[in-house]
This record gives sequence, C-alpha cells and structure tokens, in this order.
Amino acid sequence: MPAKAFSIEDGNLQTKSIVAARQRQYTDIDLTFTNKVTGDIYKKTNSAAVKQAVKNLLLTNRTEKPFQPYYGGDLNRFLFSLSEDFDEDDVKDNIAAAIQNHEPRVRVRDIQVLILPDSYDVKVTVIFQVISTSEVVSLDVSIARLR
Amino acid sequence: MATIQSSDLDFDTIKSRLKTYFQQQSEFSDYDFETSGLSNILDVLAYNTHMNGLIANFALNESFLNTAQLRSSVVSHAEVLGYFPRSQTSSRATVNLSLNVTDAGRSATVTLPAYTTFSCDVDGTTYSFQTLESYIATDDGSGNYDFVTSVGSSNIEIVEGTLKEKNFLVGDVADGQVYVIPDTTIDTSTLKVEVYTTATDTEPLATYTNITRAVRIDSTSTIYQIKEVPNGYYEIIFGDGSVLGQQPVAGNKIKVTYLSTAADAANNGSVFSPDSDVTVTVSGVGVDYPLSVTTVANSSGGDDKESIASIKNNTTIAFASQQRMVTAEDYKAQILANYSSYISDVIAWGGNENEPPIYGRTYVSLKFIDGLTDDQKQNIKDQIVNNLTKNLAVMSIDTVFSDPTEVYLQLTTRFNFDPDLSNLTTRGIENQVTNKITEYFDANLKRFDQVFRRSTLLTEIDKISPAILNSRMDVKVQLRQDITVGTALNYNLYFPVAIAAPSNDEYIVESTRFTYNDQTAIIRNTLGSNTLQVQTVGGVTLVSNIGSYTESTGTVSLVAFNPSAIVGTQLKVSVTPANQSTIRPLRNYIIDIDAGLTTTIAQVDYQNTRTTLA
Repeated sequence: MPAKAFSIEDGNLQTKSIVAARQRQYTDIDLTFTNKVTGDIYKKTNSAAVKQAVKNLLLTNRTEKPFQPYYGGDLNRFLFSLSEDFDEDDVKDNIAAAIQNHEPRVRVRDIQVLILPDSYDVKVTVIFQVISTSEVVSLDVSIARLR
Repeated sequence: MATIQSSDLDFDTIKSRLKTYFQQQSEFSDYDFETSGLSNILDVLAYNTHMNGLIANFALNESFLNTAQLRSSVVSHAEVLGYFPRSQTSSRATVNLSLNVTDAGRSATVTLPAYTTFSCDVDGTTYSFQTLESYIATDDGSGNYDFVTSVGSSNIEIVEGTLKEKNFLVGDVADGQVYVIPDTTIDTSTLKVEVYTTATDTEPLATYTNITRAVRIDSTSTIYQIKEVPNGYYEIIFGDGSVLGQQPVAGNKIKVTYLSTAADAANNGSVFSPDSDVTVTVSGVGVDYPLSVTTVANSSGGDDKESIASIKNNTTIAFASQQRMVTAEDYKAQILANYSSYISDVIAWGGNENEPPIYGRTYVSLKFIDGLTDDQKQNIKDQIVNNLTKNLAVMSIDTVFSDPTEVYLQLTTRFNFDPDLSNLTTRGIENQVTNKITEYFDANLKRFDQVFRRSTLLTEIDKISPAILNSRMDVKVQLRQDITVGTALNYNLYFPVAIAAPSNDEYIVESTRFTYNDQTAIIRNTLGSNTLQVQTVGGVTLVSNIGSYTESTGTVSLVAFNPSAIVGTQLKVSVTPANQSTIRPLRNYIIDIDAGLTTTIAQVDYQNTRTTLA
C-alpha cells in the first residue's frame, strides 16, 4: 500500500491528527449540587453533561419550564393515566420526540420501555449517541408513584 | 470584566442577557442548551427577575391616577385630590298621590309617612320605590286629598331601593373607630346619619350632613364624609371635634339609614302600586284607604357607580375647580360630578360672550339624557342653582339656563363606485355609506363643542371599501322653527356659521313645505339676491319679499310670515354655509344630522380610461 506523500510545508500533517471541526467540550453544573472540600460544586463534562441533560429533559413535565409549555418528556403524565390508555410505543414516541425537538447533541439509538402497572412503575432505558464524540451512552430512568 | 445587563423586563431578554454573561467566561459551556442544568438555573434566575420587574411595573402604574388600572387605586387618587366618585344612584320617578275619603268625620289633613313603599315591575322584575320624606294632603271639602310637597307641588318623587339601617356604638375616641357600611349598592345621596346620645335614646342628638353640601365648617358643624374604600364598601368619617366639625363621643349611637339600589335596572318603570293603604282618622278611629297613584314621569336616573374612566376625567377638572364655580370648566365639572346620571353634557359661557352681551350672568346649557319630563328637567335645574351655584359661584353672578339648540346638517354624498372591486350592489354600498355617516355623528358629534369637519368624514367613507374610488359631499345647515299658523309674525333664525353669498345658479336658503294662500309653497332666496321669497314648488312667486338673510351674521329673518299650515311640527330652514368644510357650533349649539334629508348617491365607475369625451 503506497504511503501518503505531503509537501514540506504540509509534512507535519503526518504527525498530528486532523481536526475537521472545532470540538466543543460540554460543561455543565452538577445538579446534585454535591460540593467539593473547597466549597465549589462539581462540574459535569462531555457525555456525563449530556446524560444529565437528557434525564433532565425526560423528567420535566409540560408547562413546567417558564414560557415553553411544550418543553419536556412529560413522563409523569403516564404515571397518572390509566394503564389501558397507553402502551410502550406511546412512551417511546414521546421520548423520541422530546429528545429530537430539544436535545440537538444526541442521536437516539434505542428506547426500551417496561410498564409495570401492578407496581405503578415505568422503567425506561434510553440508549443514545453523543454526536460530537460518537460515544454511546445508556440512561436508565425509572418513575414510580410514591403511594 | 463580564457583567450582567438587567435593564429589561421580559423573560426572554433577561435570559438572553444571562447567556451573554456566560459567553464571556469559560467555566460552563452548556448555557445555550435548553436541556442543560445550567439552563434550568438560568430559567429560575430570569423568571425571578421577570416577576420582580413586573411587580415593580404594576406597582408604579397603580401609583399614578393616569395609569392606575384598579378601581381602588383610582378612587384613592381621586380622594387625595378632593374628588369623591359617585356611588350607585337610584332610579327616581315622579308621581301624583291622592286619597278619596267619603266618610263623615274625616280629619282635615292626612300625612303620608316617609319611606312609604311602592312596587314597580320592570322587565319582569319587581322593584321597590319609596318616598324619602313625609307629605301632607288637605281635604278639598269633597273628601279628595292630594299630597303635596313642602313648596306646594303635587309632583312627588319616589326613589328606588331597599331601606337599610346600620347602628354603630361609639367607643373611645383614642381607638380611632372606623365606621364601615358593608354594602356596595348604596346611593350615598339617600344616606341619613343621626347621632343619639345613648343607645337607648329615641330622639337624635343631631343629624349630620354630607361635607359636600357644607359651605362653612367650624367646631360646631355636624358634618360627615362618606368615601368608597378599596373593597367597594363605604366608610363614614366624622370631624375631629375641633376645627373640622363635631365628633360623636364615647357612648353615642350612630344610626345610618340609606337605600340599597338596583341602579339602572329599575329605569323606565311606569306603573307604581302602593304596598299598603294609608290610615286616615275618621271620627277618632283609624281607617285604611287605598292610595291612588298617577305616574307623571317614568323612573330614570338609576346608574352604576361612576366608571374608572369617568373618575379619571372628572377628578382633574374637579381639582382645578377647587369646589368653586368660577370658570366655564368649573360649572361643567361641578354639574357633571353631581348630576351625571341625568345630564350627559354641559356647556357654560359668560354673559360677556353671549349674543347680545349681558354682564353679570353665567349661561349654562344642559344636555339631558333621554326620557326625562320637563318637570324633572326643571327640578334638576333648580337643584343646580340651590345646591351648587348659590353656594359655590361668585357672588352677584346669576345662573341662566339656555336650552341646547340643535343644528342639523343635510349631507348629500356622491361617490364613485367600482362594482368589480366589491360583491356589494350599488344600493348595498350606499347603505354602508349612510350607516358610516350615522356612526360618525354618534361617535363624534351630538355633544357640545364638537366640530364637524367634512374631510374627516370623507376619509372614513373612502376607507369603507376599496371599491369606493373617491367621494365628495355638499353640506347644508338647517335650523327648525316653531311657527304659529294663522298669525303674521316675525321670525329670526340664528345660524352658528356664516351663510354663503347669493349665487345666480343655486338657491342658498330653502325651507320645507307649508301652505300659503291654499297653495303648497316654500321659502327661497331670489337667485343672486339676499331677499327671501315665498314660491310655489313649481317656482311661481307668491310673495316677492318675505324677509332676507345676512351672510356674515348667519341670520335668516322672516317678516310677517303667516302660513295657514306647515308640514310636520316645525318649519325647517336650510342654508348653504360659506365654508362647507368646517361647521363649528357656537355656545349651546349641538350638531346633529337630519337623516331624512341626507342622501347618498353612488356613481358606477369601472375605471375605464379608454373612454373619451363625446
């Protein structure tokens, strides 16, 4: 296989990786607000930041965010509906639409939903890829009625 | 250094400013993703700032009379300026009341007690009306008793409302007691405040009067103020016991009676039935006889509390007048503040501005609401003189009432109409134009001091539809004159505008039809002359000189005019004004439209520019 040849001016391309687009590092506040010994709170970066954001999106109800009534995964709604009124596909569609509309950093790979009507529980696993790094992340969300 | 700009009020801008701040530092980069935790925190911060900004804005708005929206704020600002907004007012009717007692031994006089009640049905609901004072009737010798007022009039006013009574026991003055009447439907003009020495006394120590009717206040004055409080109830305030009038002392009882009203719902009642008979002493024994009621004037004048818009308008004028009647605007402010449930508009002018000038007088013209009788109107005028001008106006200045003079406009409107640009017929678009003219007069004229401007109306007409291509309007001004038929009399009609100069082509002055020497005739000016003639409709001259008109003064004079009959109740005389573009009313003139003599003509115009003149 022939070796690539570069001019003298471009010779350093062989030793450095080519960055086609400016990479952006995602940095967000850790919403658990756990503080370090210095008193600062922790940061979430890259896939951890995105994962926190997706979880945040799914657990936000419609009309909860000021002046954005259609924002949110609205999963809590299903907890208070009759179990005959919806099925796994409804939950999946809801999650997919919310992520597509509000989280441009990820591409959804798979959504698994398990509805447990007897224990008033919905378990959701969302597998998505962080677009900028191609990292695949799995997020488990479980929502259950307290009583 | 990065700073946060926070001068805006709306949520999105505030949040945008916060994002701008985060753009300037490198610690967190997820501020512009709506799903991020940082965005959620920015939401909270922006929402908090937004709400604080709004509250500050609302609070500031409520701090000024001009911008306040809440009634409680507007009323409070008005009271600071000495203006007490009008409460609900009761509907009032005028009736004649009489008894017929034929039994021998009847007493010479009969007293009808105050608060005698009558029932009246208005639109399926029964309302209670009552007298506010007692009336006495005297036997005419035949057993007929006609009740009369203290000044001898048989016209007795009955007032709608339910009589209510509240009693307050006065505590220690140091307690700063507040006397609140928890009722939003009070007609404060019916309020009667009596103070008793103790709770068990039956005769009042003093009857207090409203401060608005007080001319002079000193330590002995028995006056009270009544004002609307923020929840719509009313509060009674007494003097301070020293310079601002007497103050009830501890142990006194305050008895307040008033009418709780149904406001305008009880207007237009016409049949009043007494709820009880009247007891007449016959040979020492009380015998009940039915009261006979004759309605003189239907119930009217009931109205809701003064509106917020009205309070805002009247407060500033009333403040400027300082509870005195000196300028023309003072008269308007005081009269409207007290009688706006009967009077829709007022204009006043000094005798020096009158034609002819008469010094030492103030002329007032009142535009009453519809439905009042002449007696009711005269009663209001008497009240204005007795309650307002005698107390508040400058000494030696008499108040003279002058009835409004209606001046009518006859409009001939022609407009070009392209049927291709509309789905309306010619008749349909003509009706729309006529309706627009009526609307314009209702909204902009029919009140004192309102000027007719032709171009403004034509602009409104042009805006009705793109199919109206252009428009023009001929304007005539019309006055109406009562005519005594069968008697030769002189009549002068004073138009509020200059009249056009004589023309050789068209008549400047024209009247409606009347009968003269058994012929149907009209009055016209001679073409090219100021002389007026009586002509047949066909143009044959019957009287060559029946008077003249003067252009500059706008006067039409008829001399020895003696028709045998006229069409309608009044003779309508119309003139072409010197300036048709602007008709400006003088003093007590009110501009209205004569719809019967107003015409609208559409000229079909397909905008065909290829047509040539023949």
